[in-house]
Amino acid sequence: MLRYSKIYWYFVVQRFKILMEYRLNFFIGSISTVLFQGASIIAMWAVLRQVPSIQGWTLEQILLIYGLLTLSKGINHLFADNLWVIGRDYIRPGQFDRFLVRPINPLFHLLADRICHDAIGDFIVGFGLVGYAMVKLQLPITLASISFIILMVISGGIIFIALNLITAATAFWIMDSIPVTNLVFSTNEFAQYPLTFYHRSVGILLTWLLPYGFASYYPASYLLGHSIGWMAWLAPLIALVSITIAYRFWVFGLKHYGSTGS
Amino acid sequence: MNKLAYRLRIYRSVVGMNIKEMLAYNLWFWSQLGAHLFLTIVYVSFWKALYSERETIAGLTMQQTLTYIILARMIAPLVQWGYTQEFGYWIREGTISSELLRPVDFQERIFIGHLTRTFVALAQQLLVTGSFAVLVFDIRLPTDPLIWLSFLISLLLGCSILFCFDWIFGCVAFYSTEVWGLQVVRGSILMLFSGVLLPLTMLPSGLQTLAQWMPFAQSVSIPVSLLSGITPLDQLGSIWLQQLAWLAVMLMLSRLMFNFSVRKITVQGG
Repeated sequence: MLRYSKIYWYFVVQRFKILMEYRLNFFIGSISTVLFQGASIIAMWAVLRQVPSIQGWTLEQILLIYGLLTLSKGINHLFADNLWVIGRDYIRPGQFDRFLVRPINPLFHLLADRICHDAIGDFIVGFGLVGYAMVKLQLPITLASISFIILMVISGGIIFIALNLITAATAFWIMDSIPVTNLVFSTNEFAQYPLTFYHRSVGILLTWLLPYGFASYYPASYLLGHSIGWMAWLAPLIALVSITIAYRFWVFGLKHYGSTGS
Repeated sequence: MNKLAYRLRIYRSVVGMNIKEMLAYNLWFWSQLGAHLFLTIVYVSFWKALYSERETIAGLTMQQTLTYIILARMIAPLVQWGYTQEFGYWIREGTISSELLRPVDFQERIFIGHLTRTFVALAQQLLVTGSFAVLVFDIRLPTDPLIWLSFLISLLLGCSILFCFDWIFGCVAFYSTEVWGLQVVRGSILMLFSGVLLPLTMLPSGLQTLAQWMPFAQSVSIPVSLLSGITPLDQLGSIWLQQLAWLAVMLMLSRLMFNFSVRKITVQGG
């Protein structure tokens, strides 16, 4: 474990050196997410300023959901962005074999190979929105509520990573996994609004099959004092179960892997 | 015998490889379609929830807003990114010098190419996601061919205006040689002020004025409002006049800007 943290730190330093060579790109990458999400948030504000609420949800409450989701997404973006391109950048050109002959876990190597700093933008937007919503809604900002948020954001991040890991592992069979990852990942868009906005089936899907709902809707509901019972505390368990399944599937795929022979 | 087995093994992997390649492209198509469907469900549900407690918002009914939004989202990918990336690429690679030497007007050539790509993409979008939207989401597309024609002309004008704007934008690459950042800024401003995310009449009046003075609405909001029936056809004359005026100004500016900044080119390694 200590060895892995040392190696990880070494990767981070290397990555940072590369980034500092292109400072302008570093800066633009970080704010690009802020700009794009800014456009959607302004649009949402413009619509909601004309109405008091949507089915009982006010603008600030929806922004809380949106902010929590963005923070979880940021964790995935920062630590596991390389899962997206495993097929295109590693397996197809034969680069993945490099990982297999080294004395560290290939998954660890893949993730550490590129830490994605663009996630800074997600964290700026996420913190901003959650903070703004908490203050505006006069929710208690205590040690308990902050620890709850941190726990839920980490769980949400792990859920994001787990789903991307499962879809990335399909690359061992079909070579390019981006379409599969893209399709599954795109369903997280559902979780930016209260799940009650959708048909019941979407709620069930986002809770039990693609559990993005635990990254946003459930923790937000708990913070807002809605009575959702034990569902409020289920996120860490769901995260643990999904990452275990995902890792098993990854190992299974790895055994099946037979290189591209180039 | 061994030789035969060897050959068969090679053939098998060739077959496998081809299947994988075909599947990759097909998969990409279905994945994009699926993601588009999910996203559509997300914002359709959002607007439906919004309309569940009221009849109109900013004077628009649910049917009007939904039709508008679904169509605007279909147009969005055609205009979202522009072609400024190519500008930066030519300059970075130094191929701009040979591009400029060709005996056809540089801007015209790029314009025709860009427009062709845009309209082929539009045809694809309308065929695939359009028919999909009609089937799944109960939107009402007009049956009057006149409306379609005026939509297409308005879109053509709008895309030409945007083309000239992007041309001016691309000229900045002569100075900065880096366009990605500008592209990101342009893309996010476009998302909001072109009317992709919401009908522009729903913006507060200050932002609406701002949107009117930007070229982006010309390529999304104005044609889509025609097609979704928000703008009645009797305003067609003034709309086209307005678009032509925009086009004239932007075209002139883009020519000026190009002639001015082309002197700045430093062909790297060329």
